[in-house]
Amino acid sequence: MSERSMQQALNEALAEALAEDPRVLVFGEDVGRHGGVFRVTDDLQRRFGEQRVFDTPLGEAGIVGLAVGLCMQGWRPVVEIQFDGFVFPAFNQIATQISKLRTRTLGAFGLPLTIRVPSYGGIKGPEHHSESVETFVAHLPGIKVVSPSNPAEAQTLLGEAVRDPDPVVFLEPKSRYWARDDSMPSPVGEYASRVVREGADVTLFAWGATVDRCLQSAEFAAEDGVDVQVVDLRWLKPLDVDGISTAAGKTRRAVVVHEAPVTLGLGAELSAVLMERCFGDLLAPVVRVAAPDTPYPSAGLEDEYLPSVDRILLGIQSALDG
Amino acid sequence: MALTTFNLPDLGEGLAEATVIEWLVAEGDEVARDAPIVEVDTAKAAVEIPSPVSGRVVTLHAADGETVAVGAPLISFEGEDQAGIVGTVPPEEKPRRRVRLQNPKQ
Repeated sequence: MSERSMQQALNEALAEALAEDPRVLVFGEDVGRHGGVFRVTDDLQRRFGEQRVFDTPLGEAGIVGLAVGLCMQGWRPVVEIQFDGFVFPAFNQIATQISKLRTRTLGAFGLPLTIRVPSYGGIKGPEHHSESVETFVAHLPGIKVVSPSNPAEAQTLLGEAVRDPDPVVFLEPKSRYWARDDSMPSPVGEYASRVVREGADVTLFAWGATVDRCLQSAEFAAEDGVDVQVVDLRWLKPLDVDGISTAAGKTRRAVVVHEAPVTLGLGAELSAVLMERCFGDLLAPVVRVAAPDTPYPSAGLEDEYLPSVDRILLGIQSALDG
Repeated sequence: MALTTFNLPDLGEGLAEATVIEWLVAEGDEVARDAPIVEVDTAKAAVEIPSPVSGRVVTLHAADGETVAVGAPLISFEGEDQAGIVGTVPPEEKPRRRVRLQNPKQ
């Protein structure tokens, strides 16, 4: 397969979904005529028409609320929240409607909708444009959360998200939108994590944008004689508890890397899962390499805030030292 | 490099189409953003359309004298990746490291 970017892969996945299922609708701010601020919905309105790909007013509560209503009428909305920081205006719909509807109606109404969110930092964006919201949404019962790390994964996982019978929040690593590669779809099953690099000494757990940073760190570690394994979680809810435990059990040392602030970031959940599943196998405490507990900084400080290769290497050292 | 196709916009008069009077650029030309690229006739006026991006012209989708529907492809460019409305495209470069690991196994 030739090289392509994640933008292109996501665009192809949306086109496939629209072509395969006449119930699929794509809407959000600027996704129609403009083709999305990151070009992910480029040309879809022309190809599939204004009835199926359309612009909404600037109001996330309305976008997600509309998706809930359309879903209950049998449609399969795939909506875009333009930036992570604007998930919060829609959070009432997500937490009080989307999370609960299947249970509240005793299964009469599922909500097979997908909320695409350009996520995380790394593009020197302004305030509210670089947030990591995975903990907020993954904490809600009834919602699935997934985050791809390369173009092929993005296409596979968006297809799975759209076909899923439950609501899925799809977190796109915006700093990886433009990176091109010829990655192939991974053969792992639905809701499974994947080992992207085999290693014997330490396992790094990552998702979205930090997978690439972990692979770079693993290469540096290899120069120092440390064999690092890297696991891409892919699905953040449900977590692939078996896959995670197997990977950590093999290396007996584990580091979790994420862009979200450390307190109650998903690293805390992973650490707890590994305590429950692998306590007897672990040779060192699970290490978290994450952002500090501060608001996302302005562009000039972004590189200090995000987990760098050096901070990941220090995390590996900590796991090696026990 | 990214391919960008620019569709004929509604030139503000509610018209459904326009006719190319004359292309001001040729395929292979490098054009700057906002440089005039084509003169079209909307039946009400001759209008010059500026380039929406900087890049190299790959395809002119209509010949001189040909009529183009609003929303149909007019011109395609190849150019550098453009960031979204905010932020920058991160550089694809190998990071530098300062930390060296001390491997207790050794």
